Amino acid sequence: MTGPLLELDRVTKRFGRVVIAEDLSLAVGPGQVVGIVGPNGAGKTSLFGLISGDLAPGAGEIRFAGRTVTRLDAAARCKLGVGRTYQVPRPFGDMTVFENLLIAAQQGGGLRRRASYAAAVEALDRTGISGQANVPAERLGLLQRKRLELARALATQPTLLLLDEVAGGLTDPEVAQLVEIVRDVNAAGTAVIWIEHVVRALTPVVSRLICLAGGKFVGDGDPATVLAEPAVREVFLGTEVTAALAGGSLEAGSEVKGDGAVGGERSNP
Amino acid sequence: MGWVNAIIQGVLTGGLYALFACGLSLMFGVMKVVNLAHGDLAVVAGYVAIGVITVTHIPVLWSFLIVVPLMALLGYVLQRTIIQGALDRSVLITLLVTFGLSVVIENGLLQFFSANSRAIGTGLSLVSGSFTLGSQIQIGYLLVVIFAVAVVVLLGLQYFLSRSRYGRLIRAVADDREAAQLAGADYRHVFGIAAALAFGTVALAGIAYGMYSQLSPTTGTDTILLFAFAAVVIGGLGSLWGTLLGGVVLGVAQQIGAQINISDEVLAGYIVFLAVLVLRPQGLISRRAQS
Repeated sequence: MTGPLLELDRVTKRFGRVVIAEDLSLAVGPGQVVGIVGPNGAGKTSLFGLISGDLAPGAGEIRFAGRTVTRLDAAARCKLGVGRTYQVPRPFGDMTVFENLLIAAQQGGGLRRRASYAAAVEALDRTGISGQANVPAERLGLLQRKRLELARALATQPTLLLLDEVAGGLTDPEVAQLVEIVRDVNAAGTAVIWIEHVVRALTPVVSRLICLAGGKFVGDGDPATVLAEPAVREVFLGTEVTAALAGGSLEAGSEVKGDGAVGGERSNP
Repeated sequence: MGWVNAIIQGVLTGGLYALFACGLSLMFGVMKVVNLAHGDLAVVAGYVAIGVITVTHIPVLWSFLIVVPLMALLGYVLQRTIIQGALDRSVLITLLVTFGLSVVIENGLLQFFSANSRAIGTGLSLVSGSFTLGSQIQIGYLLVVIFAVAVVVLLGLQYFLSRSRYGRLIRAVADDREAAQLAGADYRHVFGIAAALAFGTVALAGIAYGMYSQLSPTTGTDTILLFAFAAVVIGGLGSLWGTLLGGVVLGVAQQIGAQINISDEVLAGYIVFLAVLVLRPQGLISRRAQS
């Protein structure tokens, strides 16, 4: 494919007077890895909802793989290749881990019996939860639930993977493992958009960073450049950005000045 | 001996009540739809069976093969159109829509078939025949067969839900509709399949009741729906085997009531129903997913 994999064209979404996406335009190419940062309430998860089909935009158009998907529901977009994880994992609790993946492979991936079993096994291996294949999902701990959430998204055979704070609550070695998994997935050709508070998880793997605040993009580009932008520094508080640029840890705080909507929306090639 | 007889009869009647109830329980468990037209649909199935038998002259038991798939198809279509349309608005609208459906069906039946009662398969040895245990206990073949059918239906549903591809999908959608959509599952289609299953069991229940007793246009609301509700509440909402337990408890309570005083049969069933509502509102078998 020559054009962008995902395009948002002046997408707007409001809940009453609360604006969660204002005139957002965005293009993500095949195989690209994009990080999204921003304070709590910036509209990051809602942006994923708009892309995955959980939320219908009030205005604007969304295209995926050259097709307008604005009016398609989440299941149809998943079948086209949009995989998504939830910030708080939502496994099918009374099913085994393997059954969770089988559903994703058969429904989202459109795979038949044998191929779906192979895809489920592959997702287990990739995310390191093969040992839990036959455990009911409700018995898993937080880390394993997060891995299952990722595995289920992978089992749908996505060409675009939306990761919503998968690194939250993980230790440094666990974050490193996660980064390796994402690198692996991306190496196989899957584009990734990754929302993360833990910026140290993003910087090793993303080639582009977008900062979202108040439903608008306030920064977009090379991670180091974006983190150095005044509008982004204001969102993150300057000292923490300096630490991140120096390779330290950075977590987007809730201590946002104003609504953070400083830079206005951006359109990207 | 009269008490033993009452308990045996009650247990067997419980099979019929479980057939009434399992479709209601399935639709609530998966779609959160309380289908107030449930009993009327059973009566519709009974009348369709009577029509099919009258027109084609096929044996009574063969009518199941025609009516059950027909009702399942009707279930899928009704779910995808009227019920889904109501669900997209709110649960309350769904309740009103199924109530409206119930009124329309009941009056339609009254209009076309009059208020006369009709029975299915009178004269069949299966319907009128019985065997005796000892000297005082007489058991009808039909109740034993209905009980066996109920157990087979519940086993079949359990196997389908736990092992088959669509069964897994139904469980996934019942658990978390949004997450299932993100896994690529079209929940509306899955709801349709669950409704088809529920309507199929309703058809079985309607024809079975037509053979066991008599059907009239109002049987759906004044008997089948109420007993189905009672069995579901006693057994535990959303639990398949709970419907059999609920049906059996209701059946035994009714028969014991009748043993005390013949006019107390229905009353005794509702006293147990109320007692369960007060003392154990989650039902005797509470579904794990609800806890």
